Amino acid sequence: MPAVQETIDQVRGIDIDQYKYGFETVIEVDKAPKGLSEDIIRFISAKKQEPDWMLEWRLDAYKRWLTMEEPTWARVEYPKIDFNDIYYYAAPKNVTGPVSLDEVDPELLRTYEKLGIPLREQEILAGVQTSKVAVDAVFDSVSVVTTFKKELQKAGVIFMSISEAIREHPELIKQYLGSVVPTTDNYYATLNAAVFTDGSFVFVPKGVRCPMELSTYFRINEKNTGQFERTLIICEEGAYVSYLEGCTAPQRDENQLHAAVVELVALDDAEIKYSTVQNWFPGDKEGKGGIYNFVTKRGDCRGARSKISWTQVETGSAITWKYPSCILRGDDSRGEFYSIAVSNGHQQIDSGTKMIHLGKNTSSRIISKGISAGVSQNTYRGQVSIHRRAENSRNFTNCDSLLIGDKCGAHTVPYIEVKNQSAQIEHEATTSKISDDQKFYAMQRGIPEEEAIALIVNGFVKDVIQQLPMEFAVEAQKLIGISLEGSVG
Amino acid sequence: MNIQANQPAAKLTVAETALVEAFSAQIGDLPGNGAVAGTRDRLLDDLKNAGLPTRRIESWHYTDLKNLLRSVPEQVVGTKVSSVAPLVKGSTVLSVLQGEAHADAEIDGVTITAFRDQLSDGSAVAGLTALDKDDAIGRLNGSFVRDGLALVVPANAEIEDVIELQASHREGQVHTRFPVSFGAGSKATVVERHRSETDAAALVSSISDITLEDGAEITWIILQQQGASDTHLAQIRVKLGAEAKLRLYVVNAGGKLVRQELRIEVQGEGAELTLRGVNLLGGDSHTDVTLVLGHNVPHTNSTETFRNVIFDKASGVFQGMIKVAPDAQKTDAKMACNTLLMSDDGDFSVKPELEIFADDVICGHGATVADIDRNHLFYMMARGVTESKARAMLVNAFVAEIVEELEEEKLVEPLEEVISTWLEKHA
Repeated sequence: MPAVQETIDQVRGIDIDQYKYGFETVIEVDKAPKGLSEDIIRFISAKKQEPDWMLEWRLDAYKRWLTMEEPTWARVEYPKIDFNDIYYYAAPKNVTGPVSLDEVDPELLRTYEKLGIPLREQEILAGVQTSKVAVDAVFDSVSVVTTFKKELQKAGVIFMSISEAIREHPELIKQYLGSVVPTTDNYYATLNAAVFTDGSFVFVPKGVRCPMELSTYFRINEKNTGQFERTLIICEEGAYVSYLEGCTAPQRDENQLHAAVVELVALDDAEIKYSTVQNWFPGDKEGKGGIYNFVTKRGDCRGARSKISWTQVETGSAITWKYPSCILRGDDSRGEFYSIAVSNGHQQIDSGTKMIHLGKNTSSRIISKGISAGVSQNTYRGQVSIHRRAENSRNFTNCDSLLIGDKCGAHTVPYIEVKNQSAQIEHEATTSKISDDQKFYAMQRGIPEEEAIALIVNGFVKDVIQQLPMEFAVEAQKLIGISLEGSVG
Repeated sequence: MNIQANQPAAKLTVAETALVEAFSAQIGDLPGNGAVAGTRDRLLDDLKNAGLPTRRIESWHYTDLKNLLRSVPEQVVGTKVSSVAPLVKGSTVLSVLQGEAHADAEIDGVTITAFRDQLSDGSAVAGLTALDKDDAIGRLNGSFVRDGLALVVPANAEIEDVIELQASHREGQVHTRFPVSFGAGSKATVVERHRSETDAAALVSSISDITLEDGAEITWIILQQQGASDTHLAQIRVKLGAEAKLRLYVVNAGGKLVRQELRIEVQGEGAELTLRGVNLLGGDSHTDVTLVLGHNVPHTNSTETFRNVIFDKASGVFQGMIKVAPDAQKTDAKMACNTLLMSDDGDFSVKPELEIFADDVICGHGATVADIDRNHLFYMMARGVTESKARAMLVNAFVAEIVEELEEEKLVEPLEEVISTWLEKHA
C-alpha cells in the first residue's frame, strides 16, 4: 500500500508549526488603504476598469451590508473582526497583463514552484501525462496568467478572470452574477459582492463537454489582505465541466479573512463537478493565526436533468464556515455533496450542505466524513428541504465522524424539512473512534500502529476520495496525512 | 447612528401582553411564600424581556411560539372537572382537576403532597428555575404554577399498582408541576396523563421533575390527549442516578399547539435510558417534541426511538440532541426517528443532533421520512385487503410496534387501544 506509506512519510516529515506552505513571497504590491468605505469600493471598481453598472451593484451591496449583522449561529468562536482593519485590495504590481509565463515576475513563479502548482502544465502530476489541466492562478487578488486559453477558445469555452469577463462579456455577467447567491444573501456574501477583487469565470456553451479539467489555485499572500473572490460557472444545455479549486497560504500571525462566493448555474442536461482541496494555514500549536474561511457556495440546477456535484477536502483554515449547496429547481435534477473535513490543533469547522428540492423527481446525496483530533471542534451542519411541489424527490445522507483523542469534539446538526408526501428521506449519522478491534486486526498482521491508523483513516474517507479527480485524490490523501500529524498514534 | 439611550422595550404581542396582564391580575392570589413570589417575579420579568421565542432562537427554530401563540385564554375559576377511569385498570389515581390537586389517595410508603403546599412553605422554590436562557416553558410555568402533585417514593419500595397522575381541564389556563423522586432501588410504574374534557381553548403548561436515585427501575408513560384547540407547553426534566433504569414512553395524541421538551441528564455510571415516542398528528395541529439528552458520566447507555404519523395539514417537529460530555467515555447512544407523511398538506421537520466531546463512544442517529412502502401495500392488496384497510393496518403496525416493547400486557393493551381509536378517527 504505497499511498498509505506516503501518508505516513508526510506525517513524519512535517511538524505542524513548520507549515509546509508557510513562507512569504517578497514582491511589490499595489494596495488600497486599510478599511472599508464607498471610496474603497470606487477605488476597487476603478482599478478593475469596471463599467458603471458594476460599481452601482457593488455600492448597493455595500449599503445593504451596513444594515446587516454578523451571523452567530455557527459553532465557531473567534474574536470580533474589525472590518476596518483589513486591506480590501492588493494586487501584484505588474498588472500590464503578461501573455506568457516568461513575462511573469520570477519571484512569483518561484512561489508557485514551492507550492507545486502546475503552472507549467502537469509536471507535478507525474504519471498523469495524458490529462490536461488549465490553470487560472490567483495570486492575492489578481488573476495573473491563464494557460490553455487558446485550446479552450477552440471549444468555445470561456475561462477567464471575472474582472476580464465583466469587461468582455457584460451581457453574461449581467444575466448570471448574483442570480444564485443574491447580494442580499448573507453577511459575508453581501460583503463579497461589495468588495470582490477577482475570481474565475467559466462559460461552457450548449452541448460542449469542456475538453480539460479547469483549475484555479488561490493563494493568500499579502499580510492582512482579505481575499474576496467571486467565481461564476455557467453550463448551458447539455454542457459539462469539471472545476478544481485548491488553496494554500503562507504562515501568518494575524488572522486573515477570506469570504468568497461561488455561483454555479446548470441549465437543461448540464453537469458541473466542483472539487475543492483547501489547506490554508490553520494556525499554530497554540491556535494563533490562521485563516478565517467564510464562504458561500451555491449551485443552481436550473434546468431539467441537470446535475451539480460538490466535492471538498477541508484540512486547513483556523475557522471554516462553508455550506456548498444545491438548489434543485429543474425536474429530475440531481445534487451531490461529498466532503472530508479534517480538524486538528485549535481548528474549528462548521461545514455541510443544503439540498433544496423544488422540482419533481429531484434527488440528492450527501456523504460527509469528519475527522477531529487535537482540541479541534468539527461540526457537520446540513439541511435537506423538500418543498410542496417536489414530487418523488429522494435524499440519502450519511455523515460519519471519527474522533482521535479525548480533547476534541465532533458534532452533527442536520435539518430535515419535508413537505411532500411522496418524498423519501434517509439520514444516518455515526460518531465513534477507531475501534481497538480494527487496530488490533491490522497490527497483528504486522502493520505498525501509526500505519494501521492511517490505513483505517484512509478507509474511512475512501467514499469521498473516490469522487475526486485523480490529480486531486493524490494531493488530498497527502493533505489528510499532514493535517493529522501529531494526533496519530 | 442616533441610538436612543432609552429605547422602548420591544413591542409585546397580544399573547405576551395577555400573559403579563394575567400575572398582575393574579399576583396576590398565587400560592407561595416571599421567596417563591420573588422567583415568580424574576421569571416573569425574564419572559417579558426575552419575549416568547421565535424561530431565530435555535432551539425553537421549528416552533415560532411568538407567531403561533396568537392569544391566551383567560384564567377561569370554579370550573368543575371530574376524573375519569385510569388508563390501566387497577391504577391508583391522583388527579389535578382544572389545576387543583387532589392528593387524597394513599400508596404504601409514598409521600404525596399537593404542590401548592410546597409553594406556600417555600420548599418548592429551588425547582422554580429556567434551565437556560431560552427556556420559555420554565419561565412561564415558574411564574404561573399554582398546584400539582409531589411524590416521594422511598428507597427500595416496590410499588405494585400503577400510579396515574391525571391532569384534566375544561378551559382557561392551567399551570401544573409534578416533582417525583424515586429512592434508591425503588421500582414503580407511573402514567402521566393530560386530557381535556372539551374542545374549548386552553393554555396548559406542565413540568415533571423526575429524579431516579441509584438503582431505581422506573417505567414512566406520558399520554397527552389534549383538546383540539389546546396549547400544551410541557417539560419533562429527568435525572438518572448510577445503575438507574428508566423506561420513558411518550404518546402524543392531541392538542393544537404542543411543545414537549424532554430534558434528560444521565448523571450516574451504569444508568440506562429507554425512550420511546409515538406522535399522532392530524387536523391543523403542530406538535414539537424536543429532546436534549446529556450523557454526563462514563459507561451509560440510551436508545431513543420515535415514530410519527402525519395526517391532514398537521405539522410535526422532532429535535433530538444527544450530548456527550468530555470524559463520558464508553457512552452508547442510539437514536432513530421514523416518520410517515400521509398527506401532501402536512409537513415534518427533524433535527437529530449529536454533540460529542469524548472519543471512546458509539453514538448514532437515523432519520427517515416517507410515505407507506408501496411494496407492503401491494403485498396486502394482492391478498384481497382493500387499499384503505391495508393503509390503516400498516400505519397501526408502524406505531404499535413501539408500545409493544413495553412487554407488560396491562400497559401495552390500553396504549394500543388509544392508538387505534385515534387512527380510526383521523385516518
